[in-house]
Amino acid sequence: MQYESQKIAKNFYTAAALLFLIQIVVGIVAALQFIWPDFFFLNFNTIRTLHINALVVWLLVGMMGATYYVVPEESETELWSVPLAHLQFWATVVAVLLVIVGYIVMGLFPQANSMIFGTLLLNEGREYIEAPRWADWLIVISVLLFLFNNFMTIMKTKKFTAVQGVLLAGLTVLALMYLPGMFYTKSMVMDQFWWWWVVHLWVEGSWELIAAALLAFMLHKLLGADKKVLAKWMYIEAGLVLITGILGLGHHYYWIGTPKYWLWVGGIFSSLEPIPLLLMVWDAFRITREKRGVVQNRVGLFYTVAHAIFNFVGAGLWGVIHTLPQVNKWTHGTQITTAHGHLAFYGAYVLLILAMIYVTLPSIRGVKEFDQSKGYLAFWFMTISMVFIVISLTGAGMVQSYMERLLGLDYVTVKTSYNMWFWVFRAIFGVGFLVGVLIFVIDFFTLGKKSAS
Amino acid sequence: MSHNGARNLFIFGSLLCFAVLIVLTIDTIGTLDERAPEITEAVNAGKKVWHKYDCIGCHTILGNGSYFAPEMTKAVVRKPKEYLKKFILDPRTINPKAAMPKLGLSEEEADNLIAFLDWISKVDTNGWPPEPILTAAAGKGSSMGQTLFKKHDCSACHQIGGLGGTAGPDLTHIGLEKPDADWHIRHLKDPESVVPGSAMPAFAHLSDEDLRELAEYLITLK
Repeated sequence: MQYESQKIAKNFYTAAALLFLIQIVVGIVAALQFIWPDFFFLNFNTIRTLHINALVVWLLVGMMGATYYVVPEESETELWSVPLAHLQFWATVVAVLLVIVGYIVMGLFPQANSMIFGTLLLNEGREYIEAPRWADWLIVISVLLFLFNNFMTIMKTKKFTAVQGVLLAGLTVLALMYLPGMFYTKSMVMDQFWWWWVVHLWVEGSWELIAAALLAFMLHKLLGADKKVLAKWMYIEAGLVLITGILGLGHHYYWIGTPKYWLWVGGIFSSLEPIPLLLMVWDAFRITREKRGVVQNRVGLFYTVAHAIFNFVGAGLWGVIHTLPQVNKWTHGTQITTAHGHLAFYGAYVLLILAMIYVTLPSIRGVKEFDQSKGYLAFWFMTISMVFIVISLTGAGMVQSYMERLLGLDYVTVKTSYNMWFWVFRAIFGVGFLVGVLIFVIDFFTLGKKSAS
Repeated sequence: MSHNGARNLFIFGSLLCFAVLIVLTIDTIGTLDERAPEITEAVNAGKKVWHKYDCIGCHTILGNGSYFAPEMTKAVVRKPKEYLKKFILDPRTINPKAAMPKLGLSEEEADNLIAFLDWISKVDTNGWPPEPILTAAAGKGSSMGQTLFKKHDCSACHQIGGLGGTAGPDLTHIGLEKPDADWHIRHLKDPESVVPGSAMPAFAHLSDEDLRELAEYLITLK
């Protein structure tokens, strides 16, 4: 770390780590509710809302932290305004806490989610973007302040590097793509049409841009790889991500009341989506092989390469298996989607943020050498557990697709009897995942502190 | 590929794809009205009920949402509306095994929600969800009573031998539990008079002959 203001990243990482822990605890509650629906004092919908919202928010907060670290380093100057970054951080934390309290209140008293000025007060009732409209505006303001601070930092020295170009492009698209989720439509078809703009163009568009940029940054930082070569491949990867991903949006428009041509558009483009992700794996391996031996932060590199691999497997392979309309017709809305969602988010974004933390936290704490063993231990607990969670969910999805969709058995029958063991396995491995997260959180708070004293 | 070539691929390739997406979006929005029935006040009010109670936190609709509870796009096709209304208002008195909690909807909210579900069931979804192959293959029964059982889609709510819905009681051994054909006829004509609080719709519009055939079939299930 060369610049004092990069330390602000640590605040964001701390919030991310704590929300990650909350996300997994409520995730286990949700897993148990598949076995005992009345297991907890909050209903499944509230628990699931907390699970997926905590995920989205901690990844976003992690990306913000990472950006505050990357931009000063790339621009070779201090951040434009540290107080603004602090204000933006605390405003985000307060808004997130208010939204969480709102969800819990609604879980206890469903009637409290009343209409005020034409929008729902506590929960918009739309998956992933449940946050009410007032919170949407707070999120938009927070992201705009964040973008402004980073743009001003870049403008100080006007060093337009490729990495921060793609990173900031990804973050700007991210901010813009939040807007299609901020208006009400009478038609549920229209509702879901725009909702997919937000969800798909985030996770298969702007977030992958951010991933491509951060991957290039980490490979340079860890291995000292040539920036020019890294930048070229980053452009190719980011370009292919968008060329396949933007029209790959069509794979969400097969069955929601939109015209039939989306079956062709979505089928063709989304089938190509794994290609850039495979390129990223090749990129990570090629550079690692060339530069092996010079790495000091081995655990950081380990997470970086693992991110590239599981991004390809989770987002790429587990997505492509059910992306063709002929297959998706039977699997759409089954546990196959859940399996894909879990491995994709874990590989593409959870490991990405954890990698950024392991790559940058030692220098933020001012240490060169640190105990890396807990990082590996956390990785194996989380990854092995996640692989088994995904195998369980894939099994459940196959049974569900076959019995419910193909044979015509009742949804409830399949869920409560034929798939019961899958839910049990999933819950057990959920606990395994929690162990990994606990080790990570402990490591996060103690990393580098012993050797410093 | 040169560095600048790669950068141009990124910038112009993605802009081109985004432009195509905009064109397709404009075209799609223009076709949506033809592909769905008119949205009445009740349908819109029902959609707001759907959002208010965060139904998507457990259910899917058009295949999107949460995978904890049944898909709702064809709910009104699969279950009688009378049943749905009673169930939504108080799930566990209708079906003690239901996982759904009582959310406190008003009668009006339940009616609007059903109007909304009725609307969505009529949206042209390019044939989704597909009819299960087994249901499609089993068009006719081996007896008159069994044919009627299929014709009136009794298995939407009742199971026989593991196949069918779970909203109503399992009928696999109903012939042992209720061996009297006349009881079944009285029950089919007016379920609530025989089973107080039943949410099953009445089938009084069937002819006496059909009711007899159906009842005779039911008592063979042992």
